[in-house]
Formats: sequence, structure tokens, C-alpha cells
Amino acid sequence: MARQEAFQGSLPLLVLKILARRGPLHGYGITVRIQEVSEDVLRVEEGSLYPALHRMEESGWIKAKWLTTENKHRARVYEITADGRRRLDAEEKRWLAVNAAVVRALKHA
Amino acid sequence: MSWFSRFLNGIRRDRLNRDLEDEIQFHLAARTEELRRAGMSPQQAKEQAGRQLGNALRLRESSTEIKLFPRFESILVDVAFGLRLCRKNKIVTAAAVVSLSLAIGACTAAFSLIDALILRPLPVNDPERLVYAVYQSPGDPEDRAAFNYPLFERMREASRSQAQLFGMSFQSRRDAVFDGSGGQPEKVYAQWISGTAFPILGVKPALGRLLIESDDLKPGRHPVAVLSYDFWSRRFGRNPGVLGRWVTIRDKQLQIVGVAEKGFTGVEPGIHTDLWVPNMMSDETSLASPGWSWFRIWGRLQPGVTADRAQAVLRTVFTNFRRERASGRRADEPRDSVERFIHAPFYLRSAANGPSALRQSFERPMWVLGIIAVLVLLIACSNVASLLIARAAARDREMALRLSIGAGRGRLVQQMLIESALLSIASCLLGVLLASQAGPLITDMLSTSYRTVRLDLRLDWRVLSFLTAAGSLTAFLFGLAPALRASVVSPNDALKSGGGKQTARIGLFRPLVAAQTAFSFLVLFVAGLFLASFAKLGRTDLGFDRNNLVVIELEAKDLRQGGQNAFAVWHQLLDRLKESPGVQSASLSGWGLFGGSASTQNLRIPGRPVDAYEHHYLPISPRFLETMRIRLAGGTDFEWRDGQEKSPSVVIVNESFARRNFPGESPLGKRFFRVGRGGTLIAQDIVGIAGDAKYDSVRDATPPTVYALLQPESGASLQVRTQLEPAALAALLQKELPRVHPAFRMTGVTLQSTLVDDTLVRERLLALLSGFFSIVAIVLVAVGLYGVLSYGVVQRTREIGIRVALGAQPLRVVRLVLSEIGLVTLIGLVLGLGGGVAASQFITALLYDVKPSDIWSIAAPLACLLFACSLAALLPALRAARVDPTTALRHE
Repeated sequence: MARQEAFQGSLPLLVLKILARRGPLHGYGITVRIQEVSEDVLRVEEGSLYPALHRMEESGWIKAKWLTTENKHRARVYEITADGRRRLDAEEKRWLAVNAAVVRALKHA
Repeated sequence: MSWFSRFLNGIRRDRLNRDLEDEIQFHLAARTEELRRAGMSPQQAKEQAGRQLGNALRLRESSTEIKLFPRFESILVDVAFGLRLCRKNKIVTAAAVVSLSLAIGACTAAFSLIDALILRPLPVNDPERLVYAVYQSPGDPEDRAAFNYPLFERMREASRSQAQLFGMSFQSRRDAVFDGSGGQPEKVYAQWISGTAFPILGVKPALGRLLIESDDLKPGRHPVAVLSYDFWSRRFGRNPGVLGRWVTIRDKQLQIVGVAEKGFTGVEPGIHTDLWVPNMMSDETSLASPGWSWFRIWGRLQPGVTADRAQAVLRTVFTNFRRERASGRRADEPRDSVERFIHAPFYLRSAANGPSALRQSFERPMWVLGIIAVLVLLIACSNVASLLIARAAARDREMALRLSIGAGRGRLVQQMLIESALLSIASCLLGVLLASQAGPLITDMLSTSYRTVRLDLRLDWRVLSFLTAAGSLTAFLFGLAPALRASVVSPNDALKSGGGKQTARIGLFRPLVAAQTAFSFLVLFVAGLFLASFAKLGRTDLGFDRNNLVVIELEAKDLRQGGQNAFAVWHQLLDRLKESPGVQSASLSGWGLFGGSASTQNLRIPGRPVDAYEHHYLPISPRFLETMRIRLAGGTDFEWRDGQEKSPSVVIVNESFARRNFPGESPLGKRFFRVGRGGTLIAQDIVGIAGDAKYDSVRDATPPTVYALLQPESGASLQVRTQLEPAALAALLQKELPRVHPAFRMTGVTLQSTLVDDTLVRERLLALLSGFFSIVAIVLVAVGLYGVLSYGVVQRTREIGIRVALGAQPLRVVRLVLSEIGLVTLIGLVLGLGGGVAASQFITALLYDVKPSDIWSIAAPLACLLFACSLAALLPALRAARVDPTTALRHE
């Protein structure tokens, strides 16, 4: 667990942001997106995404439905909810504020 | 692996698991596809995708936990598994549940009693603002709460801005005759109260109206009464037609005007009031005389007024009133005793939970018994903990297996705690059942022939929350050790073939065994003290023979109406009785010994300094001493002709009286004086000396007592020495009484031995219950020790085998097994002894003629405990001694 902890805090924020920008995506798609946008800085056991997704689903920030792909695979597709958008807004503001504060502190400390 | 498949087959899990599996499969397929496109071989791509995904098992577990019912499902699974385990180990489960439920039941019963008697606030408005007044007599720290009416009236006027005062009499059992019942008297608990009492308390009517201020203005002018809901239900089946009916109590006719609200049983825990009457309907003398103290003064503090301020105001009134009263005293009284009388301490006490005479005598015993019950619960806890540890050790491999295939340690701890919780819940349910039976049983034990104790032992939220707290605490206590063990299981060691290194050494049990021994010694020690006290009380010489003696309360209201000489009529009654079959002798007294009544008098003895000492008095008829079998140590008994004079001066004194007042000389023929009403001196001539006989307490030393000649008028207590049963004697009297005089009525029939026993209720309760608890404790300790030792022997069979093979003697082997526990037991005993010494300070007041420091007080429980422990150790020791090296070693 310890390995993922640093990442755990920001993972929901990233997921929400990606879903808000790109629309519905399945888990694998989200993984790929995260790796792309973070340029592999945020590397993690891909498995830990799923518990995070399920937790967010329980909290009502995202909702999921099953689709069948062209090659007959069942794929679970996630979509951001209105609640999730509000959450994203708040989290984003908070994250930026904290970030700015840390940056300031690093500069002037 | 079977547990895991069970685990997965849990309730409504299939779909969830399939979905999760599909999602993971989809991810793996997509990743593999991509890697393959990037140039990997299909095999490589698949492996790489798996690695990148991480631990799929853990992923599953944490995801299913999140799904739908976070944690809830895993709990359900653990519960199902735990139940299955319990069913598999029937004996362990039964032993655990029986000992726990017994202990939890005892604790719950103790709590509900303590709650009803001590803790629970009165069911009235804002009970926190209620107070009642008490004072203390010189040299006696006990609170006295009986006040007289003139003082009350003055206090009420003086303190209007501090508190609303009202008076409520002590509940008393009275004969009541309801109209339409054919004149048949019934016993009711009646209480005389101020008209303002109900409004100030905030009690509402269930029917009709309650007493109000205007019901309590002029003596004898307010013939109304209010019933309690309880009595209304019991006696009248909740018939609303009860309003307007009449009831006669103490010669007063009263009309029932209402019923108080449900749940209001009066203001004194221990006694339920049946009927309330305005104060103004009690005797006129009781309202006018400062010499009649018959009720409690209550008050509700005015808003913003502290109890201290109200107390200061009332204390001034109290002291002034006493000063005026003291001016009427005899001039020869010592100044300091008069001063002490005037400045008697006066306090306001909180009445939030209701003042209670019962509580005064039973508060401490209840706490002591409650603490003993808690100790037994702790013993049971450590017992069950040992059982569970032993069982958990056998499950090391299961735990290790679960760990190694990815279960979190948290899950294992949860599993163990849930199993403990299951045991605890079962025990709580059984325990509540037990408590609901034991509570009323104990309440009955508190009742005596003259006092029916009724406690409201409902299963309310207070009792239930206590039960929940006790249950979860015990589950935590006995579940903690096995759970901790589960969390440190090392899969590597446990899964090695043959069990490898044994992780559950006997060391884990050591603190448990020590705790058990300490607690059980404490319980046995305290119980031993109570049992010895009770036994000694029972053997104490009372100075009279309590056996084959029936005491009858007689009333004869209109004896004088025919112009007859009352004295002669009573004499005639005794004569008739004496000739009845089965009656050896009969006599009369003003009240019975040990009947709860007493009278004391201040005396003047020529040649001795005046003091404030109060001597006990008892008016008796001739042959009282003979009937009671009190020894006549000198002089003569009274004779019937003594009573023909107007005020006979003859008295008989007991030996304690002689020793105190006439040391070194014979009191026969001496004269002393009793201080009568208005300070007059009444001469008393000593004609006889009686052997010392206890008056109203087995415990107290015989008080210096004066037996005066009884001049029976409207009532007396009749003693009959007879082989007859009380009922047979009552039937005989029923026949004989009207023949002597139609005015005679019996109001009570009891055995003298019952009256004596009734004064030992507290001691009997303590002895019985603590005795019972000590048996439970000793059985629990023996069973626990047996379990631990047997487990130790099983664990070490191989080692013992090797030792025997190397030539160890059986005795050495036994010592090896026992030494592991022996020292711990000893430590436990020492701890228990220390606890006992500390506890004995708290209980000395409850003991009689027994010292905690006596050698027997310590030796007896020690011997009992050692005996039980040796018995428990015998079987495991024998088994260890009989270990056969060849089988023991082949076993591996």
C-alpha cells in the first residue's frame, strides 16, 4: 500500500479532470491518459486505479455502464456526474492553492 | 483453501465478482494488445501486462470491499464463518457462553438494581432542582429526615423566595376499607402530602384530578384521596368508575378524586405508594404538635437560587425553632447537651433520585455486590480468552494460508473480533434473560414482613446501554489476545510442514491465569467475610428464645365504651389464651422486640450526674419475661395487681442498665426518675432485674433497658409461646377474641424468628449472593486452569516425550508442567490478597465480629482456591506423567 499512498490523494482529481475533458472512458483508457499527460512521472501499479474508480463511483462522483466493444469484449465505461464536476471544481481550486503555497514557500523559505 | 472458496461464494457476490473480473480482463487484454503492437511477443506482452496491473487478488479484495456495502459484506461472511466454527466446537462455545452469560447476567441484574435504587432520577419535572431537608442528632452522623408540622409551616413561610417547600409523610402500610368491599380491610401504602406537592413535582393526572393547594388548608376538612396508576390497575382493573368512591383510612373517610399518571410510583425508591391523602387529613395533634415528627420536608429551589443559599435560610429557622423548644426543657440539663440540641447540623440534600431509607442501608451492599459481579465477569473474560487462544493456536495454519494468498491482516483481526462478538452477543441475550429473573428475586429478598420492597426493574435504555457496553467491552477484552495473535502469525513459520516452531507458548496465558487467580481470591475473601459475619449473627445469643414464638399485633379501639376496665379485659384475654390447647404461655407488650419500634427516655438517677443519654423502654405485661424466656436475674416479675393502681411506678431493669447506673451495687429497691411531658419527673421503683436481651438489633450491644408495666388500652403486641403454626394460632384467636371482647382485631401475625431475620436482610443478602458468586468464581478458575494446563501438556507432548526418553522421572515431568503455572498462580494470590486488604476498608462497616486481618479470613479462601486449583491440575499432570515417549515421538 505504501507505494501508492503519495499518489492516492491526487488520483481522484486526475481521473475527474480526464473524464470531464474527454468524456466517457473505460479504465484502461483512463490509465493510458494518466500516463500520457503526466509523461510517466506518476507511475503506479495500474491495478490501484480500479479500487479508486469504485470508491469514486460509490461516492457518486462518477457513474459507470457496460458497453460491448466491436470485438465482443464487455467494457465498463465511466462518466463524470454533476456531483463529480462540482467536486472537481473544488478540488482543483484547493490543489492549485496548496500548490501555489508550496511553490511560494520553496522560493522564499 | 476451502475457506477461500466459501469466502468467494458469499451472499450475492457472484455478479459483483464477475463484473470485476471482466473489468480486469478487459484491461489486461487492451494492455497486451498495445504491448504486442509495440513489438513484444504475445507471451511477453501478457506477462508484462499482468505485472503492470499488480496484485490482482488484493485488487479484488479491496474493490469488493468498496462495492455496495463497504465492509458490511465481509462482516457477513465472517459472521457466517464464525457461526460455523462455533457449531463445530460445541463444548468450547457452550463453556464460553455459559460462563459469560452468567457473569453478564449478574452484572446486568446488579446494574438494574443499582439503577432503580440509587442512580435513576425521579420521574418528575426537573428533578435536579429538588431538595429535601435533613438534620443530625448529636453523636450520630446518620441523616434524619423526619420533621414536625409547626416547624415546617415556619420554614415554608420564611423561605418562599428561595424554594417552594412541601411536606410528604413517610409511606406507611395502612389498613384501608374501600366502600363496597364489605368492610374488609386491605393493606395499602399511603402517603400524606402537601396540596402543593403534585403541582410542584409536575405530576399529571391519568384520571380525574390530583391534589391541589386548596385541598390542604384546614385540618380535617378535605376528605379526598388520589390513587397511583399502579394501584388503580392492580386493585380496580383501571375502572374509571373508581372516581367518587370512598375509602376509610385511620378512621377518616376519603373520596377518590383522581389517579396519578402512569410511571409515577411515588418519590421513594424501594416503596411504591398506592394512595395519597392531603396532610390536613392526618391527626390534628400531628399537625399542631412540635413533638410529632412524621414527614419529610421537600423543596424545589426557585430559579437562580443555589441549594447553599436556601440551606442557610432554612438552617436559621431550624435553629431558632430548636432554641424556643429548648427553653421548655428542664433546668438541670447540662448546658452543652442543650447547645448541641439547638445547633444540630441541618442540611439540604439533593432529591434528584429520591430520598430512600432502603438506599441508606443497601447502597453500599449493592455496590459491593456489583463489584463482585464485575470481578466474576473479568474472571469469565480471562477464561474465555484462554479458550480462544488455545483454539486460535490450532488455527495458525488457516491464518497463515489466508495471509499468504493476500488477505489483509486487518481482515484476520476482524475475523477474530467478530467471533468474539458472536460469543458476546449470545451471552448478552442469555444474560438479559438471567438478569430479568434474578432482579425480582433479589428485590424479594429485600422485603420483610413489615416492608414490601418494590423496585422498578424495567429493561429501559439505561439497562440496555449498560448491557451493550458490558457486552462489547467483554468481547473486546477476551477477543483482543487471540486477535493480536492472529495479526502476528508468520505465514512462513506456520506453513512449514509439521507446524514447525510453535508460536503459542503457554506464556500468553500467564497474565490471564494471574488475573483469574487474583480476582477469584478477592471474591472468595470478601464472600468469606460476609458468610462468617452472617453465621456469627445467627449464633449470637439474643437473651430471649426466638423459636416457637408467635407475635400478634392487636387493636381494640372501643374497649372502654362499655365502661369496662380495659386492663381487666386484656388480662382476661391472656387468661383465656393460657388455657387454650398448644399454648404454653402468653404475654403482652407495647410493641414487639425486633418489630421496628423503639422508645427511649432520658432519666434522672439520684447520685449520678445528669446526662442526655436515652435509655430504652418497653412496656410489658406480667409473664412477658417468662414467655420470651428472658432470664430473671433478681427480684420479682410484675403481677397483675400492680396494674390496678392509677400509675404504677414499678419497673424491671436489665443487667446492662444495672451495670451502667448502679455499678457495684444491687439496683433492687432503688428509685430513679423518668423525664415526662413538660419536664415533670416520674418516679420509677426497681423491683426486678432481667438478663440482657437484645431490643431491636442483633448487631448492637444490648442497650440498658427499662421494662415498665404495660397499661394496655387501644392496642398491644401479643406474644404466644406455642408449638402451633402462626396460621393455626391466628385461627384460634379469630375464634377467641370476640368472646373476650368484640372490639379486638388482629392486624398482624408473625413469628418472632421472622422478625429477627428481617433485621438481618442486608447481611443475608450479602452472604447469599457473595457465596453464590464465589462458587461461580471458583468453578470458572478451576475450569480455566484445567484448560490452560491441558493445552500446555498437548503442546509439549513431544518435548516431554524426549525428556522421558532421556530418563526423566514422571515426578519431574509433572513439576515441569505445573511450574509454568505455579508461580503465576502465586503472584495472582499475592495480588488478590493486596486487593482484599484494600477492599476490606470499604466493607468493614458491613461485617460483624469478623476481622479481615484474622488468619482464618485469609486461610479459608486460600485453602478453597488451592484445593480447586489442585483438582484442576490433577488431570493434566497425570496425563503429562503418562506420556509414552515412543508414541509421542512417532507422532511427528
